[in-house]
Order: sequence, then C-alpha cells, then structure tokens
Amino acid sequence: MTGRDRGAAAVLLVFGLIALEEAGRLRFGSLARPGPGFFPVVLAAGFSLVCMGLLVIAARAREADAVSAARLGWPKIGATMAALFVYTLVLESAGFVAATFALLVFFFRALERQRWLVAVASSLVTALVTYLVFKVWLNVQLPAGPWGG
Amino acid sequence: MDLLHGLAYGLSVSLQPPNLTACFVGVFVGTLIGVLPGIGPVATMSLLLPITFAMSPTASIIMMAGIYYGAMYGGSTTSILVNIPGEAASVVTCIDGYQMARQGRAGPALGISALGSFIAGTFSVLGIMLLAPPLTSVALRFGPPEIFGLLLLGFTMVTYLTAGSKLKAVAMALLGMLLGTVGLDPIAASPRFTYGSVTLGDGLGLVPIIMGLFGISEVLLNIGQGVKQEVFDTRIKGLMPSREDWRRSAGPIARGSVLGFLLGILPGIGAIIPTFISYALEKRIARQPERFGKGAIEGVAGPEAANNAATGGSMIPLLTLGFAPNVVMAVLLGAFLIHGVQPGPLLIKEHPEIFWGVITSMYVGNLMLLVLNLPLIGLWVQLLRVPYGILFPLILLFCVIGVYSESANVWDIVVMLAFGVIGLLMKRFGFEAAPLVLAFVLGRMAEESIRQSLLMSNGRFSILMTRPIATVLITAALIVVALPVIVPPVRRLLRTVPPDDTA
Repeated sequence: MTGRDRGAAAVLLVFGLIALEEAGRLRFGSLARPGPGFFPVVLAAGFSLVCMGLLVIAARAREADAVSAARLGWPKIGATMAALFVYTLVLESAGFVAATFALLVFFFRALERQRWLVAVASSLVTALVTYLVFKVWLNVQLPAGPWGG
Repeated sequence: MDLLHGLAYGLSVSLQPPNLTACFVGVFVGTLIGVLPGIGPVATMSLLLPITFAMSPTASIIMMAGIYYGAMYGGSTTSILVNIPGEAASVVTCIDGYQMARQGRAGPALGISALGSFIAGTFSVLGIMLLAPPLTSVALRFGPPEIFGLLLLGFTMVTYLTAGSKLKAVAMALLGMLLGTVGLDPIAASPRFTYGSVTLGDGLGLVPIIMGLFGISEVLLNIGQGVKQEVFDTRIKGLMPSREDWRRSAGPIARGSVLGFLLGILPGIGAIIPTFISYALEKRIARQPERFGKGAIEGVAGPEAANNAATGGSMIPLLTLGFAPNVVMAVLLGAFLIHGVQPGPLLIKEHPEIFWGVITSMYVGNLMLLVLNLPLIGLWVQLLRVPYGILFPLILLFCVIGVYSESANVWDIVVMLAFGVIGLLMKRFGFEAAPLVLAFVLGRMAEESIRQSLLMSNGRFSILMTRPIATVLITAALIVVALPVIVPPVRRLLRTVPPDDTA
C-alpha cells in the first residue's frame, strides 16, 4: 500500500459520497415500504464506509512495503483509446466500412509500423471481410454510411 | 420425466442439426479463444450474444455453454506450450505442463489434459443429471428471503475467495450493485440516476461493461506491457499418454473430477479455485512430492480435470435456482433472459427441451472437443505465432461490433471504452473485476428480494432468520464473513500441538 493506494481509495470515496448525496434525493420510503431510494442509499453508504476503511489501511501502510508494478507504455495505450473514441464518434456518419478501414490503417501503420502497402491492403480486406461476415452473413446490425456500407 | 427418459429426450434435442451445429461452433470458438491469450470466455460469450438472437433459445444456450467449456480445453494448450495461461483456470497447468513440454513430453501433456478434461466433463454431466432434478424441488420453496440469503452467501463467498484484498473486493461488489441501480427501479419503475437521459433509463448494459472490463482492459494491458511470444519449438508427436502416464494420472483425474464438480456448485467458486486445490491435494498425497514443478503428469491431469468438472457443477445453481454463481454463468443467465426464458426451478417443466438439450449437448460437446483437439493441436500452435500487433486490432474491432450489434447504440461503445480504462486502472490498483460484474448482475435480484422480504414482514429484518432455508443460508454467509477472523488463530493453535499428538 502506497500513495497510489491512498489516491485510489480517495477517488473511490469521493465517488461514493457523491452517489450517497444523489441517492438521498430519491424517495427512501420506510422499512415496511422501502422506496426507490432505499437500496441505493444503503449501497452508497456501505461503499463509502468501505472506501474509508481502504483509505485508513493505505494511510497506515509503510511505503517500504510497496510492491512496484511493471511499467506500462501509456503513450501507446492513450493513442489506442483516442483512436477508438474518434472511431466511435464518426462510426454512424461515416459508416462501418470506411470508419473501420481508417481505424485499422491507424493501428497497423502508426502503432505497429507496418509498410503503407501492407497496412492499407490488410485494413481494407479486414474491414470488408468483417462487414460481409457480420452484416451480410450473420445479419448483425452495423451502421451503414453514405456509401451504403 | 425420469432420468433415462430425460436423457433420451435430451439427446434427441441436442442431436438435431441446428443444435449440433451450434454446439460445434461453440466448442470450436471456445477452444480458439481459449488458445489466444488476452481474450477469454466471458468477453467472447458477450460478443456472440447478439448473433444468437436469430437462433432458438436451445441452440443459443448450447452454443454459449460450448464456448465456456471449449475455452477450458483450449486454455491448457497455451499453458503447456508457451507457459502463458490462455485462461485463468489453466494457470496451474503451466507449472508442470510447461516443464513436460521442455522435456520433450508436450504430446502426453496435451493428451492427458484433453482426455482428463473429457473424463471430468463426462462425470460432471452425469452429476448434473442426477442432482439437478431433486434440487429443483427444494428450489420451489424459495421465496424472497431465501433468494436474498442465497445472494448474500454468494457475495460473501466471492469476496472471501478473491486473491487480493478482501476489503477491495467488498468495495467492488458494492460498486457493481450501485451501478446496477442506474435505470428504472424494479418495483416502482421510477427512474434513478438517469438525469433525463432515455438511454440511461434502460440502465447500463451488461455486455458493454463485461467487454470493457474483460476485453478492452486486457488488450490495453497487453499493448502497454508488450506480449512476449515464444512458442516452444519442438515437434509434437505421440499425443497418447503411455501406460505409466495413465497409472499416475488415474487418481488425480478421479479426485479432480469429484472435487471440481462439488466446488463448482458452490456460489462464487468458478473454475479457477478448484485447479489450485486439486494441485495442492495431489502434491500433498504424492509419494514423491519433489517431482511436482519438474514435469509431473499428475500436476497436469488433476487440475485439468478439476476445471472441467467445475464448469459442469456451476451449471447446477443456474439451471435449478436461476442463480448465477460466477461471472460466466451471469452471462449465460443473460442469454436465457434475452430469449425470454427464466432459468430456475420451473425450467425443467416449462422448457424440458432446453434443460435436457443443454445438458446432453455438453456430453456431445465434450466428445467433439476430444476429436477436435487432438488432431488440431498443430493448428492452435500456428495460431500462437500470429503477432500481437495483428491480433489486438482485430480483438478490439470484434469488441466494438459485439457491443454495437446488441443495441445499435453508439453510447454502448462509449460505455465499453470507459469500462476498458476503468478495468485497466483496476488491474493496476489491485481491484478485481469479477465481484463487480457479478454484483452488477445480481444486484437487481438482491434489491427485489430484500424489498419484497421487508414488504412481507412489515419492515422486520427478522424474517430473514425465522424461515429455515433462509436461516441456514444467512448463517452460512455470516460464517464466511467471520472466517478470516477465525482461521488464523485456529491454525496457530493447531501448530502449537506437538507433532507426536497429531499422529
């Protein structure tokens, strides 16, 4: 348990207290006739209490006992998430095939450093094949774009 | 309908071409994702859920179940050949399986894990057929207080059995239930935490949450850490274990089957814990425990049998009580509900085709897996050589398709991405996702049962302790809560006893 744990517990505690405040606005009812707010209030209160417990444990722990976690490549994780988020935003306006093609080109070329030709060709094939398999063959709903795919 | 009738009827259902195909697709896909590290049965079952909309309820449950036990088979292949568990339930198999592969005995290791799994799978199917019908009659006496007691026992078991901090697990379970309250209140149908949004009125989706916590976060972690891929490069020959191998493995497989099946029935256990217990048991009773960790075939046979038997055992609470004892069963419960079928004590009467069809399909599926796995191991090994740089964009893409196709709502993709990041942070800070998801699924049931209990008793909590079944369940839950306090002093007490007296 280290400063990281204290931070995590503190963030969760804040969330719990906000949830408690919000749940308090719902009608609580009585024990004999519990209303919509009954269960959320109990949960949010319990959650906040547990988070306080976690905070106390983290605060009393010594830094020396900390287990250091493996380093993570955050830039790559960030880039992946950003790409997926943009993809989600344009998915319905651009259509599945176009958006997916662009997303895969970004992954293969920018993140995985494939050659342009390889990246573009494999992205195109993947986008088309998944569309055919899921939409045409399995009849799964996928957003159609201005080009019908 | 008696047992033999049920069995014959079930086989007539599970051998119909559409159901047979569903079973084959399920076990094949299951093995495939079991082999691939970074995508597990929970995410895959959620992913394929929308595809089953067009299928009959029976076929879709057969397929879903097939993915689960198929993944158990596939997971062991990577453990043995690459020393990376394809599934959490095959972590233990790495210990001796990989050592066997290094000694050139990859063939018998793969062979015994497939055959051991088959024997255990068969045993657990027989167990379900014998135990489920009588349990159903008990389940019919379950009212709201009993259901609440069972859920409480489930939650306490899940938190007691988590590997890390128990308090963190409790926090995640409460958070999961809290997230489950978003949407319409189950009794009064008034909106909660929706802030006027129509989408939130339906609540947060189970599929986006699972795909985020189990799919996206796993991929992000692998991207961030970099995956090392070293396939053990030997020709695999002679999959059949020798007579000596069989002699050593027979006991572990038998013990693993019984142990896994019985543990699997209990709420919160799942398929992972039995493998550890089986390994520890085999090591303790072995004549030469020092062989363990150096390629002992017993260390592969026992745990592999245990995880497959546990898979079958965990179907029992779902089929008889409509209660999901672990996350995988929670997804399966979701599949039932999507098709408008309520699993539980009435299932066997109202939908005998599903009940018996699914059970016998597990037997058929086990047979398929045996046939499928032994000759296809070469293919799975090739698959392990696909670079992660190609694999991860595809996994992400499938997650997006899976989530979108379920609701045709972009908002669900956003929820999935958000839970992907949350899941990654949870892994980094030592919070487990399983209690959260399980509580999310069962929270609604917990709320309904406690509110109905209080309505029944006019606000007195004593109703939970005055009905026999509820009392037993709640007492058991309280004992589980007290275990961390009771166990250490008892252990210390036992240790102070002189060794002569214990003999």
